[in-house]
Amino acid sequence: MIDRIAAFGRLGLDIVSSFGRSGRFLAGVLGGVPRPATGFPLLLKQLYAVGVLSLAIIVVSGLFIGMVLGLQGYTILSDYGSEAAIGQMIALTLVRELGPVVTALLFAGRAGSALTAEIGLMKATEQLSSMEMMGVDPLRRVIAPRLWAGFIAMPVLAVIFSVVGIWGGMLVGVDWLGVFEGSFWGNMQSSVDFVDDVLNGVIKSVVFGFVCAWIAVYQGYDCVPTSAGISSATTKTVVYSSLAVLGLDFVLTAVMFGDF
Amino acid sequence: MNSPAYISLKDVVFSRSGRRIFDGVSLDIPRGKITAIMGPSGTGKTTLLRLIGGQLKPDSGSIVVDGHEVPKLKRRALYSLREKMGMLFQSGALFTDLSVFENVAFPLRVHTKLPEDMIRDIVLMKLEAVGLRGARQLMPSELSGGMTRRVALARSIALDPELIMYDEPFAGQDPIAMGVLVKLIRDLNGSMGLTSVLVSHDVPESLSICHYACIISDGKVIGEGTPEELRAHPSGQVQQFLQGQPDGPVPFHYPADGAAQDFGLSGGVS
Repeated sequence: MIDRIAAFGRLGLDIVSSFGRSGRFLAGVLGGVPRPATGFPLLLKQLYAVGVLSLAIIVVSGLFIGMVLGLQGYTILSDYGSEAAIGQMIALTLVRELGPVVTALLFAGRAGSALTAEIGLMKATEQLSSMEMMGVDPLRRVIAPRLWAGFIAMPVLAVIFSVVGIWGGMLVGVDWLGVFEGSFWGNMQSSVDFVDDVLNGVIKSVVFGFVCAWIAVYQGYDCVPTSAGISSATTKTVVYSSLAVLGLDFVLTAVMFGDF
Repeated sequence: MNSPAYISLKDVVFSRSGRRIFDGVSLDIPRGKITAIMGPSGTGKTTLLRLIGGQLKPDSGSIVVDGHEVPKLKRRALYSLREKMGMLFQSGALFTDLSVFENVAFPLRVHTKLPEDMIRDIVLMKLEAVGLRGARQLMPSELSGGMTRRVALARSIALDPELIMYDEPFAGQDPIAMGVLVKLIRDLNGSMGLTSVLVSHDVPESLSICHYACIISDGKVIGEGTPEELRAHPSGQVQQFLQGQPDGPVPFHYPADGAAQDFGLSGGVS
């Protein structure tokens, strides 16, 4: 019994110290003022790696999710004779929820895991240590551009996801199932508010972007530098990011849309 | 500042994961000479280099490099001290996304504002020194193990450091690559007036080029001196290590219960 309590206590201490380490890590990454001449090219390279290369999965997923929403929405709404509301249903669902959340989950799987594995391998092959020994801080040179790139890329990807999703929903709703195009777009425009819906969705994706990128780079930097350690860190990135995104989504939704 | 010892360790104690790696190590590394630090695997030779480079902090004791107390240095001062240090990692630690040329140019681009044509000339001179001027366009994945270390060596001397630390430079090298590295370490030390610290367990190669050597085992320095002094050292443990004897003061068997008990024999098996 005492052993169990002790193990529970150790687990608690481990978790708290891990939070502490990741906080100090974040302060180290964001602490310095980047030099534009060196920082900007590094940021661009990472924006390409985490943003542009994630476009394919985001666009394809957005298209199919929009199409499924169109189908499901039409089936349910037509029971009530209100299939004309399909446009606003698709747009609100995507802009408020599915855009930021699914993009973040896909981002964690596609770009987050890649960031963790890349940084973990750099650690295992002593590239980070050699950088330190050359008088270059890897937190600023390697980690900071990746963190900022994730932070910047996520909202853009989420917006693209929502736009493509709405287009997919229109393909199914209007072009296939025959909902009147005017009511599809008209209802959407009249019910989607820029600040309440679009901006809140973007704020969500900004938060998710920051959290996912932070988890990914921290797990890579803090991993045990062996093949098993990198594998475990990559898994942790996807699991922790997904849980953090879903948990934070609830909190943010409650704050933004909860009527209390 | 100009004391004969470039690096001075006094009573350094360092533990990791509850295990004591160094238990009061004191050592002076002379300026402008090649010092070999030898010892069995797992004695913390690489850890010693990381302590000197300030990547790890000792539990107690002092580590002075060129007059600077390394564990007490602030981040900025530590990073500027490191610009005077070069380190050759066991794996080479080349940046895998950069070509050979860009790897060697990296410290120059970060720490200097030299024009591009001057960087090119310096990089080619450093690559020429290690015999790889012709390999400048290759990527690290296209290099053999020996070539990787030579490129890493060129990179570590790019800023003309005062100190260079070699972490197991001969491990896993074929005889030709090993010969090349021995020659390079000796030539660089002579031509650039470097202070060189060589961590290795390759006894003949290390003793053939070093001016001074020390052997670390079980967290302590068990023998030090010139190669000749070490070869004549009275300690059985030093001699066992230098001659590679499988049994001696360092036993062949890992401590275990009695063999008779383990094998379930009643008779006296020793």
